[in-house]
Amino acid sequence: MSAARTLRLVWFVTWFNVRMLLASEFFILTTFISPLIFATLAFFLFKSGGGAAGQTLLYVALGAGMMGVWSTTLFGCGGAIAWQRWEGTLELLVNAPSRYDYILVGQTFGAVVLGFYGIVATLAWGVLLFGMPIQATYPLILPLSLVAAIVSLGSLGMLIATTFVLYRHANALGNLLEYPIWLIAGLLVPVATLPLWVRPLSWLLAPTWGMEAIRGAATGESPPAFAIVMCFVLAVAYYLLARVTLVFVLAKARRDATLSLQ
Amino acid sequence: MSYGMLFNWARPSIYIPTLIGGPTFQLLFFAALGSYATNRSPAYFAIGNAVQVSALAGVFGMTMAIANERWFGTLPAILATPANRVALFAGRFMPFVLNGLLVSLYAFALGVVFLGVRLAPGSLAVAGLALLVTVFSCTAIGALQGAVSLRLRDGLFGANLVTMGILLFCGVNIPLRELPGWMQVIGNLLPFTHGLEAVRQAADGAGFDRVGGLIGIEALVGVAYAVGAFVLFSYLERSARANATLDVR
Repeated sequence: MSAARTLRLVWFVTWFNVRMLLASEFFILTTFISPLIFATLAFFLFKSGGGAAGQTLLYVALGAGMMGVWSTTLFGCGGAIAWQRWEGTLELLVNAPSRYDYILVGQTFGAVVLGFYGIVATLAWGVLLFGMPIQATYPLILPLSLVAAIVSLGSLGMLIATTFVLYRHANALGNLLEYPIWLIAGLLVPVATLPLWVRPLSWLLAPTWGMEAIRGAATGESPPAFAIVMCFVLAVAYYLLARVTLVFVLAKARRDATLSLQ
Repeated sequence: MSYGMLFNWARPSIYIPTLIGGPTFQLLFFAALGSYATNRSPAYFAIGNAVQVSALAGVFGMTMAIANERWFGTLPAILATPANRVALFAGRFMPFVLNGLLVSLYAFALGVVFLGVRLAPGSLAVAGLALLVTVFSCTAIGALQGAVSLRLRDGLFGANLVTMGILLFCGVNIPLRELPGWMQVIGNLLPFTHGLEAVRQAADGAGFDRVGGLIGIEALVGVAYAVGAFVLFSYLERSARANATLDVR
């Protein structure tokens, strides 16, 4: 399969999945409404502290937006393979001439791209309701930071999709993992304030570096080069892990004749 | 029976991650965020969220217990029976109130062990009563949401909105007095606000003479939502019969 055809396939599945998710009330809530509610909560909390934390409104808006990105990634990717099973399309996709992992890449990127709307929404919310100033210390680096964050979260989403399918109730795992990643990825509370043993876990997570790359470009004192590199390194690592898991999961499903079983 | 059959989460593989794991991390997240952003004690946020997590069982549970009748195709059979509608409706509350209490008590235990929550021993009974009434009123708004869901494509959309609304409007993390006036009005009309305040004051040692009024208001709010839910349920039943839409999804 040529690179151009692969890119076209990934683009088509990404766009298709964005449209699929937009038809779901749950994802409308997770992507469009929930980030605004959590952003409002965070704005009031930081306002209530009277600047005790020393953080700007932009810091809060970006963090709350990334919380929405994580929720959409978690729920959108966690159930990706399971939904294909329920809808009866998994067998067709696995047996199609196109590589299944490319289809999964498109599917997970669809969820992540949709999730990034949350950042735009919380920024607009902050400007309109709280008079937040919009600024970017490194405006030319910001697009690269966003791409790095999307790529790393997309790859993490693929890993989530391939591992969650091993658990019968993927959505329950989603319910479990929403808050802890918000916390240990330092989206609103800096990683430096967390206990020492938590920090290595933060370093393994795409949202940590994605957030640092975006915040670094928006409000940082130096360009977030290391965070951007870490996003791409983690993206490759997640993709390779997801590939291995996917091969295992599909081989097991074919061997046990459970590909279409729920 | 409605609990076992209609509550999607009533199996360990869903119950444990959703109603034990989820509340655990919610408590830790808001305790860390709240104390970082405001310099208040983590215990303040732990108490608020320990009460709020009962909404997971109350709001989502009751929504499922009513709305799932339609999705599982059992609604026409239920409505065809001559059973007393009040008994049919009210009977669903008890397991979800107990479940909400269980989740909340677990979260309180977590708060006591890890987040510095201290409950005045002399007011434990009053705090317990306030918690029970709060969980009831939260289950009542869940029943209303369940009745509304009989007409919606996705009932859990509304349940999610209600639980998020409670987080924002009811003084769970931000004291009510620090919210804008219109948000305080909404907060006062929702369950949790008065009950949670009663729990907070009782935890600090206030007796029934001081928090009885708050508990009474919370109970009234709960009864109002329960009655509203029953009226809506009855209306939708009549309307569905008249329009032959009982089974339409």
